[in-house]
Amino acid sequence: MVDLSLKLNEFELDNPIITASGTYGYSNEFEVFCDVQKIGAVVTKGITKEPRLGNDGQRIFETSSGMINRIGLENVGIQTFLKEKLPILQEQGINFILNIAGSAIDDYVELAKIADKNKIKAIELNVSCPNVHSGCIEFGVNKDSLYKLVSKVRDSYSGCLIVKLSPNVTSPEEVALAAENADADAISAINTVRGMGVKLDFVNGQFKKTTVAGGLSGKAIKPVALSFVDRIHKVVDIPIIAMGGIYTLVDILEFFSVGARAVQIGTANFTHPDIAQKLIIELEEFMQKHKFSTLDELQNKLKEAEYV
Amino acid sequence: MQKKNHTGKIGAITQINKQVYSIEFSSPTLKSINPGQYISILCEGLTLRRPFSVADFDNGVLKVLFKQKGKGTEYISGLKVGDSIEFSAPLGNTFTIDDKKTLLIGAGIGVAPLFYLNKKLKEEGAETFLAAGFLSKEDVLGDFDFVSTDDGTFGEKGSICDYLETLIKDFVPDRIVSCAPSAVLRIISSVAKSHKIDCEIAMEKVMACGIGICRGCVIEVRRDGKVQNATVCKDGPVFKGEEVVW
Repeated sequence: MVDLSLKLNEFELDNPIITASGTYGYSNEFEVFCDVQKIGAVVTKGITKEPRLGNDGQRIFETSSGMINRIGLENVGIQTFLKEKLPILQEQGINFILNIAGSAIDDYVELAKIADKNKIKAIELNVSCPNVHSGCIEFGVNKDSLYKLVSKVRDSYSGCLIVKLSPNVTSPEEVALAAENADADAISAINTVRGMGVKLDFVNGQFKKTTVAGGLSGKAIKPVALSFVDRIHKVVDIPIIAMGGIYTLVDILEFFSVGARAVQIGTANFTHPDIAQKLIIELEEFMQKHKFSTLDELQNKLKEAEYV
Repeated sequence: MQKKNHTGKIGAITQINKQVYSIEFSSPTLKSINPGQYISILCEGLTLRRPFSVADFDNGVLKVLFKQKGKGTEYISGLKVGDSIEFSAPLGNTFTIDDKKTLLIGAGIGVAPLFYLNKKLKEEGAETFLAAGFLSKEDVLGDFDFVSTDDGTFGEKGSICDYLETLIKDFVPDRIVSCAPSAVLRIISSVAKSHKIDCEIAMEKVMACGIGICRGCVIEVRRDGKVQNATVCKDGPVFKGEEVVW
């Protein structure tokens, strides 16, 4: 029997496979494809104070080995979440992390207070959404504004506070330290990488152009994520939840080897909607086969891997 | 609960014309799918699954007609009889199936779901009329009650939109149903509205999740007196012509 469980501060997970915000709905929507209760934790779609309609125009664009999205944080808002989605999560025993976003510190604080009041055990701060013009982007790219934001949220929230970092920064170390110094319990990284897709058509002697500028995700960003996690792991002590292009068990082991404590599956949920559940089984079988009884054992062994 | 992911085996794949293929496959886990609903196929090496309407579902065998125009359809057209195929189904909502007198209008590859719908409507005892428009004779897919081609090489000459008024006058439908490029759907919706005829249209958009959660494929619709977002993948692909905000 292998033990895949872990704790992020007081937040308990049965296994280290988490599904990423925006790729898995608010609650049990993926039950049409797999058994959602088995997922380590589901990160909800980013929730704001008020409902949001999101961006106009084309929102997704497939790229080589990935995709770009510019959804613009369309969501039902916190009140509808509490009324309609939270009961499903609770009734079905789905472990979850509430992802919150805002355009001012007060928005985050208010959302954190609501989460606290409703005994939501873990929240993830979206400080790095590259889609929203006002506010959002600035917290994640500047260590001082990030520190201020995380500190204020910390004061209002007693559960597990996770800060999701943007890769669109000059110094990953600086922002990771800012989150840790502000008393975050964990870091998740990376959010999407800023990118743009261009599609050209040539019709009747004229070029026609479609562009979609937003966040790049999927296999294409895995090396960016590995580098980011490797760098921040060297400077912070709090656990890191890694994400970026994870599709296979080997991907997960690679992230563990650079210091990740858990992982999130994002874009891969679109390609293979039952992948999170399959990866849990594969991880368990791998550990069984190679006689790792706990996640710590496996992760320590990976961190000790010899350089060839 | 039966999950929506299936693995099928390809029973037939045929090239119908220069660009269009027909593919047939079945999976023991897929029990039913209704006209309007779609499937989304995993294409090796690509991030996003590709959505396809269903041209027929008979004795557990799915038939899909598709036009080869990108990497996804290139992958699928390269599959062989006996190959396995991973897909999600059934996804999306359905056309209304009853015995109302229905005029079905397709354009190009948009005719695909109308074949299945036509069959089901007839089973309900509905009188139907299947009309379609294509670019040229070589593009015509199957048998119709009325065909127009842009170049006049088959059937009547011109766009199918040029014949809407005549078709409505001659057939006097209770409902119009269409699947076609967006510009054609817009015209059909507006003509149907002017005649106060119910109209259902199947929309298309680039999709990611297929179940309404990623919000990648939203369009605007007017419901309950206000404009709101609806996902083509889950709230659609079938919408009332009059509710779509163009």
